[in-house]
Amino acid sequence: MSLETFATSRAFTLGVELELQIVNRHDYDLTPGAADLLRVMEKHAKRLIADVKPEITSSMIETSTGICERHHDVISQLTEVRDALVHSAGQLNLRLCGGGTHPFQDWSRRRIFDTPRFHQVSELYGYLSKQFTVFGQHVHIGCTGPDQALWLLHALSRFMPHVIALSAASPYVQGSDTGFHSARLNSVNAFPLSGRAPFLLTWDQFTVYFNKMARTGVVESMKDFYWDIRPKPEFGTIEVRVMDTPLTIERAAAIAAYLQCVARWLVIERPFEPEEDDYLAYTYNRFQACRFGLDGEVVNPQTAEHHPLRQLIAQTLVDVEMHAIELRAERGLAHIRELLNTPEGGDAGWLRATQKREEFLPEVVRQQCLKFEGVG
Amino acid sequence: MSDILSIITTPWALRPDTLLGATLLAVAAALLGEVAWRVLRWPRLMGYCAVGTLLSLAGLGVSGDEAELRLAVDVALALLLFEAGTRLNLRWLAHNPWLLATSLAEAVLTGVAVLIVARLLGVAPAVAAPLALIMMCVSPAVVQRVVGECGAAGQVTERLMALSALNALYAVVALSLLSAGLLLSDPSTWAQALPPVLFSFFGSVLLGAALGSIVSLIARRLDLRNENSVVLLLGCVLLALVLAKTLQLSTLLVPLLAGLWLRNRSDRPWVWPRHFGSVGGVLVLVLFVAVGASWSLEILAAAGWIALAVVVVRVLAKTGVVFALAKPSGLAWRQAACLAAGLLPLSATAWVLAMDFAASHPATGAQLMPLVLATLALIELPAPLVLMYALRHAGELDAEIKR
Repeated sequence: MSLETFATSRAFTLGVELELQIVNRHDYDLTPGAADLLRVMEKHAKRLIADVKPEITSSMIETSTGICERHHDVISQLTEVRDALVHSAGQLNLRLCGGGTHPFQDWSRRRIFDTPRFHQVSELYGYLSKQFTVFGQHVHIGCTGPDQALWLLHALSRFMPHVIALSAASPYVQGSDTGFHSARLNSVNAFPLSGRAPFLLTWDQFTVYFNKMARTGVVESMKDFYWDIRPKPEFGTIEVRVMDTPLTIERAAAIAAYLQCVARWLVIERPFEPEEDDYLAYTYNRFQACRFGLDGEVVNPQTAEHHPLRQLIAQTLVDVEMHAIELRAERGLAHIRELLNTPEGGDAGWLRATQKREEFLPEVVRQQCLKFEGVG
Repeated sequence: MSDILSIITTPWALRPDTLLGATLLAVAAALLGEVAWRVLRWPRLMGYCAVGTLLSLAGLGVSGDEAELRLAVDVALALLLFEAGTRLNLRWLAHNPWLLATSLAEAVLTGVAVLIVARLLGVAPAVAAPLALIMMCVSPAVVQRVVGECGAAGQVTERLMALSALNALYAVVALSLLSAGLLLSDPSTWAQALPPVLFSFFGSVLLGAALGSIVSLIARRLDLRNENSVVLLLGCVLLALVLAKTLQLSTLLVPLLAGLWLRNRSDRPWVWPRHFGSVGGVLVLVLFVAVGASWSLEILAAAGWIALAVVVVRVLAKTGVVFALAKPSGLAWRQAACLAAGLLPLSATAWVLAMDFAASHPATGAQLMPLVLATLALIELPAPLVLMYALRHAGELDAEIKR
């Protein structure tokens, strides 16, 4: 299969995808409810703009917004689909929540959702595909053309630690505290085609690369790359995939708004040119954000200076201020500013604080559900 | 007490009611259960029931009056009913009224259909009425046990657990109302009959709520996944059961309501080993051997045809309602078929209900018991297998059991 042509889309439009956890109401373990939920959701499908799809294991469901111009559109579409999902789940004795991992699920008990592609992926990756029962937020950013998309993709790489730390919501894995704020990305790293995209700034170069890879038989389509940021030619977007699904849709929308403002700032003001050397410290910085969240320290490979992430994000919020006004994303950025000032430090901190109080992970999941439902 | 002494003092007689005989039976049941599981991937429960069935066929069945056996049966059933209660989330019924409608319609239609068929086959109205109420039941014990053993999870499993708990609740309450109604049918004895009836009902509710509250207190402070806390929990259930027996309350209603109270008073999740760990496991084994051994060939010969007719209409009534309300309650057709098949089990709850009713109405009881026992003889052994295949067909079994 050859690379699709890059569709054009309006610059800086947004699309948000959230992978959600389906849990039972008895002990709050993951439960295979995707098929039931999709069936019951059918009657809401007509009036919803957002879409609902199955994911690889049957205790996971994905919702995605349509094309959004503004932070406000993201919030309203996600609220609508969230409410419909919560209502349908209630009918089936199920609950839904955010978070990058389920804190105590046993991966060996997960079931693969019944579609040919999922079975094929499961066969290839073996236990990895079940370990991959992790839940991420993906943000699409519209680009006017493929070269702009590749330029933006590499320029954005410096900001990946920011959004990892802002969204981090997976401290617990298989019943234990990992010490990480986002342990989810550690599961993603196990996949052979994960990590960063090759440093290619034109679509012609990228097509040559893709064809070489396709010739080896390692990949068939863009779907086989599990990069942190990847071009999505079909939509005319780049897709940022490093975030955990936050515990609330408000935070998910705020992170999307942050990315949208940064993208506009980068493309319009061109504060720097991306270069291969940006990637010297890329995995180190990514690790810092995963491990320590907002308290992480990242390195600027050009200047060799270390900066606290909190300070960098605060500085970025100042840099993109005009663009936030232009995009009417102020409320989203206000959410981020507030998050920087919270001592418990984001969703991972909230999860740890809740577990410290309750000493019972199933109860933590229940409170996660309340938070997702917008009542907690 | 003298019964217990005789068990210990005459240890060498090879009868089911001696210590040696009972122990060998337990060993045989455990072995057969393991063989069923390992070789055929059938529920272990079937091995237990098979041992009981062999006893029945050999004419060595039990009557249910044996004091020690009855105690073991009551405790095991209490544990399973308590668990069944904790899986009935009333908020779910509020979110999905069609599920409540399914449950009510399924119970009522089963009762009415069994009543009509029993009357047509010449069963006296006084006997047909309690029989109809008992047949509404779907064994929460079998459902809990098979679901637990197979690690089943999914919509059919959830609904099966909810419907069987509700059914048991209806049957217990309806039968105690019927029982009370019979005692109160003569106005001249009201003054004597009314207080015990009221005491029994409200006492059961209160004791159930108290047990539920105590368990919730324990669960909040101790980790119930730890063996010692489970023993404490088991002790509480036993204590409540002893109180219920002493005060002549319902040994079925108390644990069921306790579980229901615990589940629905707060939304907090509860986790403990299924059937209270290994102690519960032994009792459950005894329970199912006993139910399997509760009938005899004479009973089957005498009441078999009526029982068969009752089984058929019971299946038809339950299946009809589940299918009729499948779409509005959010179920696919395939799932509806699996759920309907899963509603077959009839077991210990029905047995104990019938025995309790017979104890307070000996004349009716003498005609009722053979009918209930013959039905049990027909359903007891195949039901766990049908249930397991229904769950497998619904795709709700653990991947490793699927094979």
